[in-house]
Amino acid sequence: MVSRVMASLAEGHLNVPIVCEYKPGASGALAFSFVARRPSDGYTIGHAPVEIAIVRSLGYADIGPSDVSLICLVSKTAPALVVHPDSPWQSFEDFIAAAKAETGNIVMANSGIGSIWHFNILLLEQGTGARFTHLPYGGSAPALVSVIGRHSDAAVAAVGEVISHVRAGSLRALAVFDAGRAGVMAEVPTTHELGYPIGAPAWSGFYGPAGMPAERVAMLADAFKTAFETTEWAEFCRELGMEAHYLGKEDFAAFALEQQRFFESRIPQLVRLENP
Amino acid sequence: MAEILAGLSAVLAWQVLGFLAIGVCLGAVFGALPGLTATMGVALLTPLTFWVSPEQGLAMLLGIYCGTIPSGGIPAILINVPGTPASIAASWDGYALTRKGQAGLALGINALASTTGQLTSIAFLAFLAFPIASFALRFGPAEYFGLTLLGVSLMAGVSGGHVLKGVLAGTLGLALALVGLDPMTAYPRYTFGMSEFLDGISFVPVMIGLFGLGEVLVQISDRQSAQVSAAAAIGRVLPRIADAKRMARATFSGAAVGTMVGAIPAAGGDIGAVIAWEQARRTSSDGDSFGKGSLSGLAASCSACNAAIGGGMTTMLTLGIPGDAVSAILIGALLIHGIQPGPLLFANNQAFVFSIVFLMIFASLLIMVIGILGAKPLAKVLSIPAPWLWAGIIVFGTVGAYALNNAVTDVWAMYAAGVAGFLFRKTQIPLGPLVLGLILGPLMESNLRRALILSRGDWSAMLTRPILLVFLAATLLSLLWPLVRARRGRAKRSQDTVPDA
Repeated sequence: MVSRVMASLAEGHLNVPIVCEYKPGASGALAFSFVARRPSDGYTIGHAPVEIAIVRSLGYADIGPSDVSLICLVSKTAPALVVHPDSPWQSFEDFIAAAKAETGNIVMANSGIGSIWHFNILLLEQGTGARFTHLPYGGSAPALVSVIGRHSDAAVAAVGEVISHVRAGSLRALAVFDAGRAGVMAEVPTTHELGYPIGAPAWSGFYGPAGMPAERVAMLADAFKTAFETTEWAEFCRELGMEAHYLGKEDFAAFALEQQRFFESRIPQLVRLENP
Repeated sequence: MAEILAGLSAVLAWQVLGFLAIGVCLGAVFGALPGLTATMGVALLTPLTFWVSPEQGLAMLLGIYCGTIPSGGIPAILINVPGTPASIAASWDGYALTRKGQAGLALGINALASTTGQLTSIAFLAFLAFPIASFALRFGPAEYFGLTLLGVSLMAGVSGGHVLKGVLAGTLGLALALVGLDPMTAYPRYTFGMSEFLDGISFVPVMIGLFGLGEVLVQISDRQSAQVSAAAAIGRVLPRIADAKRMARATFSGAAVGTMVGAIPAAGGDIGAVIAWEQARRTSSDGDSFGKGSLSGLAASCSACNAAIGGGMTTMLTLGIPGDAVSAILIGALLIHGIQPGPLLFANNQAFVFSIVFLMIFASLLIMVIGILGAKPLAKVLSIPAPWLWAGIIVFGTVGAYALNNAVTDVWAMYAAGVAGFLFRKTQIPLGPLVLGLILGPLMESNLRRALILSRGDWSAMLTRPILLVFLAATLLSLLWPLVRARRGRAKRSQDTVPDA
């Protein structure tokens, strides 16, 4: 969705049509490997979600941010902790206290083991000392449905994925895992404010095969920058609860590598946390 | 009442109806081509709708949705290749009718029953949305397991008399469903180190191979073609009044089953149609004819897979949660247009809900007209010389398998499934159970394991859930029914050939 909207906004500045091809599979690992094998002429580029910094640590594909030409970053999405509105937990503190009091009694739905939102749950356990019973689903939507239907107690998913249910009153948001408050949920406190500096956001950028000529990268980055600055992009991000956030080539590369190091160092610890 | 009229007037603009008609026609094309599914049609065209008003965009997307499913039955009936997974059950009786020279009638029933199913489910959406939604929300892991267990127990019913071979095929389907990342631990299983297999065996290419390519290979090896034996007959399109009356019960109970199954998230028209078909078979006085060209069987499955549309839309609009893959994309499309599905939509913007209801009614009627008028020209496919038809099926099957995920692996999976389908037919192993296993396996496994996580590994705790108990009882009934029937002395041991499941 990010790619299609960005493509339609950037097309005009490149004077070539952009064709979006959808390659699902293995947390994006299939798509990353596909793009990395294409000629580095700038005519095949890919959408780089946070998973590009994760798949190697999970062993899905031997590819990471340093194996491709990163172009730019266009958005970020923070995770949020949600519970059912009829649950006894009114605040993040209530929830953590309850989870600590009865180890494993709170059932936490996640969007799949190894997904970015599952890592955030593990970071939450690590940061607070709370322990949950993990209930894996294939994606955020069914995980949230299980909380709405009261089959599980809580879930962590993107702010953009929970916002509609929070507005409709079918879910209650307890915390956003970020340093600053989310624009669409300004009333919800952040983990940093609450004294737990945890949270790994999802993000979206673009990349091409390794060794792309610098001027091609610059040209594409410019086109995406122009698209980024349109009101349509701001509007799209607001509707989907994402934060429009731009990082140029160098900043994005530094950020992605730092993210990769973060996941590389944390994933083994987090896996141990779950299987003591 | 004012809201109903406001909803109607919002869609009675020629631009809106024009986009609806475009959507229905595109949907009809998508549905008729195997490999191009409703999900894909809606996903591909969603970006196009950014440039038009929300009503126009929604009209087009709903048109595609309502157009694809009925037309998916057309190739299922004519060439035994389901156009979408939802039409698998339609091929069982539909293709049998074609071989009897009644292709026209089968297409006519497909059109009529599809629209009946859609309209019934739309009526449920308009008047019973909230009760249905709260029923759907009660489906936790244990209930999903019950539903899928009932589905798997139907394997015997779709085995056409060869129960042991049916169980063999079904078990193979369940085993194939294990390939890919373990749903609970994300550990790769049976992937042989290939990342292409991490997401499991893609279902649609396998379906195209088993049914499409497999059928072609059988016909080639038999040196005879179905349409020659059926004398390329099309026959009448509209059913006789007496036939229509006999099909009415199967059609409407199929619609009710389809709506309920469609409303449950993650269970769609494919599962709904199989359950409705089996339910119609079991309650029919002529159950033995099912799978051999039963009009009621075809009507029940066509009606149910289409009723799942209204069911899925009900869950989406009332709860803001997707009932199936298509409505998941529709939610995204609505959000981009600034419309928030959920309970508040019904409270604050009822006119909009009725706009959707009317758009779906119009789309449903339009696809029925297209289906009936198109029946005779479409059935001409059968008079294409066999080698050309075979080549066409192979070409479309290959393109369709590739188009789904843009993956060459899927094409190989399709060819492998084709060879398997050929061998199965030659050894009279029914394909229906295999497909059931492949569809239901992942849902069944992951939900059983989730239910056990929730009950802390205690099997007996699951038995306190009423909906699960109903499913378990229905499963037992479905397994014991043949014994009961045999005792009543009504069963005539049918040793006929396997239906082309």
